[in-house]
Amino acid sequence: MATIPEVMSDTPTSDRNRIGGPTGPDQFLPDSDSAEQPLANAPSRGYSEEQKYQIFNKEFMPHIDSMYNFAFRLTMDEDDANDLVQDTYLKAFRFISSFEQGTNAKAWLFRILKNSFINDYRKKSKEPAKVDYQDVETTYNSEDAESEHTVDLRAESVSDLIGDEVATALNSLPVDFRTVIILCDIEGFTYEEMAKILDIPIGTVRSRLHRARNLLKEKLRDYASSMGYKEENDE
Amino acid sequence: MQTPLPSSSGTKPEMKEHCSHRADCLKLIQLILDGEATEQQLARAKANLESCKPCIQMYQLEKEVKELLTKRIEKRCCPEQLVATIKSRILSFS
Repeated sequence: MATIPEVMSDTPTSDRNRIGGPTGPDQFLPDSDSAEQPLANAPSRGYSEEQKYQIFNKEFMPHIDSMYNFAFRLTMDEDDANDLVQDTYLKAFRFISSFEQGTNAKAWLFRILKNSFINDYRKKSKEPAKVDYQDVETTYNSEDAESEHTVDLRAESVSDLIGDEVATALNSLPVDFRTVIILCDIEGFTYEEMAKILDIPIGTVRSRLHRARNLLKEKLRDYASSMGYKEENDE
Repeated sequence: MQTPLPSSSGTKPEMKEHCSHRADCLKLIQLILDGEATEQQLARAKANLESCKPCIQMYQLEKEVKELLTKRIEKRCCPEQLVATIKSRILSFS
């Protein structure tokens, strides 16, 4: 019987490319020509055909609902989510020899899905202009945003919001901010896992998450007040 | 009033009405709710969360928002048709 992969302990910080193989993070950057062969240079582990199917079924398939949910939250479209998940799983199988059995399969798969999304889907998506990480970081990276910004909102004001309203608020965020919130709050990844999935330092995970939440709270506040929930809730 | 963290002392500390480092406290609160705070940070925050009213409110808001995301947003399951398609495509690989 296969052991359940440990989610947290198998990914030392020093080995930050573990999830995607040792070829470095830039192979996954948007517009990279090597995007079609994301894991091509990783060491082959020489699994037999039978082992490949076993790994695929036992370590990859159990994450398919989470993967689909992630794809749907990224694309906001069922057909696109279907395509994205299918592409990701086919890619995962093709490059299965770069996956080390027993390591964090979920993070490995999420990383492939997120890169497929950036490389293949964002280009053709209906989302207005592609939101560049750098633009986004710059926009919200001012000293003010970093040090002073807290959203004036009370827990009671948002506690009556329903799922669809929260989802709408989340969907209105730029995709890079939406992504960190999905990974952290909906999928429960650790900061370290998120850093690997997104190819960014942990400090950036932390600050991007912080800004994403401030933006989300602003959206929730607008939503709550437009729905007539009272802001000043003096007990 | 409900305190967000269990109180360690028997005496009720005086409540602060204003917090002069809200932004830093907010970051700390998020680390705690994400399960990413160190023991040291936890200890520091705990004292604060027993005595600082704005921090308690921030904690409650952050907790509420996180719960909205984890509990209220519908989880989409993968359609069975897609699972079947993937499995059959994989089998045709070899």
